[in-house]
Amino acid sequence: MKIHAKRNILLVDAPRCIGCFGCETACKMEHGLPAEPRPMRVIQVGPTGEGDELAMSFQPTTCCHCDWPACVLACPAGAMQKRADGIVFSDLEKCIGCQTCAVACPFGVPQLNTATGKIAKCDGCRDRVDQGLWPACVQKCPTGTLIFGSPARVVQEIRAREALKVAMVFTPDERESA
Amino acid sequence: MFDHPPMTRPPGSRLERDKQVRTVCQECSVGCGLLVAVEDGRVVDVQGDEAHPVSGGTLCARGTAFVQGLSLPERLTQPAIRGPKGALQPTEDWKVAMDLLAERLRKTKEKHGPDSLLIGCDLEGGLDFHLGALRFAQLWGTSQVFHALGPAPEGRPAAPCSDWVNSGCLFLVEADLAATHPVAFRWVQEAKRRGAQVVAADACFTSTLAKADQTIRIEPGTGNLLGLALTKLILAESGQDASAVKGDAAWKASFEKMSLEGAEAILGVSPEQLQHFARLLVKSGPVTVITGRALSSLEHHAIWPTLAAAKGWSDFKGGGWYPLDAGVPPLRVQDGEAKPAPALAEVKERGDVKAVICSGNSLDHLSPFGRLAKKADLLVHFGAFPNSTWERASMTFPAALWAERDGLAFSNDGAVQWGAKVVPSPAGCRSGLDFWAELARRFGWEKQFPWATEETLADHGAFYSWLLAQSPSTAGLKLDAVRDADPRSQMIWPAEKSAPALHRAPAALAPISNGAGKGEDYPFALLAARTDCRPGDASSFWPWTQGQVKEDAVQIHPDAASLLGIQNGDEVQIATPRGDLSGRACLSRAVQPWRIASPRGVSGVPAIVHRKDQALDEARSLLKRANS
Repeated sequence: MKIHAKRNILLVDAPRCIGCFGCETACKMEHGLPAEPRPMRVIQVGPTGEGDELAMSFQPTTCCHCDWPACVLACPAGAMQKRADGIVFSDLEKCIGCQTCAVACPFGVPQLNTATGKIAKCDGCRDRVDQGLWPACVQKCPTGTLIFGSPARVVQEIRAREALKVAMVFTPDERESA
Repeated sequence: MFDHPPMTRPPGSRLERDKQVRTVCQECSVGCGLLVAVEDGRVVDVQGDEAHPVSGGTLCARGTAFVQGLSLPERLTQPAIRGPKGALQPTEDWKVAMDLLAERLRKTKEKHGPDSLLIGCDLEGGLDFHLGALRFAQLWGTSQVFHALGPAPEGRPAAPCSDWVNSGCLFLVEADLAATHPVAFRWVQEAKRRGAQVVAADACFTSTLAKADQTIRIEPGTGNLLGLALTKLILAESGQDASAVKGDAAWKASFEKMSLEGAEAILGVSPEQLQHFARLLVKSGPVTVITGRALSSLEHHAIWPTLAAAKGWSDFKGGGWYPLDAGVPPLRVQDGEAKPAPALAEVKERGDVKAVICSGNSLDHLSPFGRLAKKADLLVHFGAFPNSTWERASMTFPAALWAERDGLAFSNDGAVQWGAKVVPSPAGCRSGLDFWAELARRFGWEKQFPWATEETLADHGAFYSWLLAQSPSTAGLKLDAVRDADPRSQMIWPAEKSAPALHRAPAALAPISNGAGKGEDYPFALLAARTDCRPGDASSFWPWTQGQVKEDAVQIHPDAASLLGIQNGDEVQIATPRGDLSGRACLSRAVQPWRIASPRGVSGVPAIVHRKDQALDEARSLLKRANS
């Protein structure tokens, strides 16, 4: 995989997600969407297991903004585009709502906005990002599940989080001994 | 324990707007800071307030989606009166509808006395509706004002939730913080990352249990009994530490004497498990115990402050007791001595409730006083949405939502914040205080409600500054200071720091009685599985959260469902001795095989579930066959 130093990364630290759906709603408000579609979607997995040994997790999912996006190649109207910074978005002025992109996408990401008859898909909050802001979903996430920024910044955050975990293991619990 | 500086956050909103209002979200009691962008009297963007010490710019789904409620086409904007043909007929004029209401109330009082009136409040009506109701009821001569969340809990968190990061252990008892207060749960996760053990006890496998380090599955409503049992074991393990309880030999002896026989059957927790958790709590101090709101109206609730004091947890940062939804101080809204509300059972026994005034959806389904309203001739609804209470109402008055009026907001932490009005309410809608002032005027009590006159709507600022000054617990607070407070700091109302009255142990744990027979007719136990902290269902009217709330979901364990021939998505009926509920089956292992969970349910009620197209007896015989 190629890492583009100038492209932003959206990292999903799914174990932190508690399924509050704040990101889904933030996205709909930012883009003025109706109840469906959901460009940002949290999938609940579980509870699975037996008896008292249960597990449940949440997986926030959104567009991968592929390096070789099938949706862009498939779009007959030239609406679906990939920007230099990596964001794949649909230009709604040009979109004719034919949903060819939805068929082409291997992840089922583009969905039809029935209120407008156009495609609704994560546009990486390009208007916000252009102003140096975080995407709406990242901004409102209460748990720190969504991390956004330049590769250097995201990597630094992961390092800090992992270092904290390691430090926890190697530090004797001072409260226990007290 | 570890200092882990968070990433610097950019500001929230992308757009420059006409007007930005800084206010407080009142969807739940976390009290997140909001920055609301307004254009032409309409909300165009909602972002979290980056400066807010609890929410820090984050928001949950409800904190954004409430905006949709303000301009919903279904929104009630006119008073309506049920006509002779049974349909609600809207009327333009509040005055006409109020005159009629006053007339009917007067007649009911003459015929049946003042105690024939019952007032039900919920979060949708707002704090000012509840306070106004208390004041009106006193003038009326009754004390029958109830809240859908139950009576106000006693006690208050000793420290704000941001202190949890100093904890050694967080013990959540029947508190599904992750689902009901997501923004507060971020502090649980932060504490966990800094080394705190998170232990959660609940009947249902909730999101909170999924995120906890260790879980205890208990019988519903037995949280306080779990507290008693753990206290006994903790005392046996380590004795007491705090000076508050030293020397009180009788108190300690009461726990030594308490028998744990039958505890396994009552709590659903094995003795080994109990011992394990008692040891865990002893060795990982300081512990913060976070208890759910429902526990506060059950017996032995005082065990939690007692345990925190006995172990000396409260003396440390990150330790103590944190009851949820207990941040509202005891406000003195009545003149002179106020009579406390009677027990609901007492009112039910009398059976003479003829008129009910209620806010939001407080008569929803199996709600505690919903059943009392059944025999009432006059049912008055004060709310914003056409919910199931509205469907039953004989009169309805359209309510302003919290974003459409000024008001004080008290958070879980006990913080006092000014919730500024964001947008004007639709023309026909009034605040709760306006409703009561308007009604009081018709009985000649305008002097007792001086904040609204015939010409002007209520001045909430004047009302709350009177209230703050009049209530002993908030007497030092000035409204102007609250309004102008630095958004980065929390203004917490002063609570007396005194040693709690020690709660003594009973001779033995007594099983929770739910007043109804069990056995073959109703082999399942119903469970209230609310994923939403609001009683009522406003969020099910908002398109953005409609799919998330699933008010009609009936959770059934897959094993039980296969016995009954129920499949995912089937229309089902829950039969209980208290009444029926209908919904859609949602197979889930979150509930145990002998339980059925519904957001509309009441915990502990015996029940049976069957498919809509199947007779009740058929389900019973299917179960009987499986048992034999």
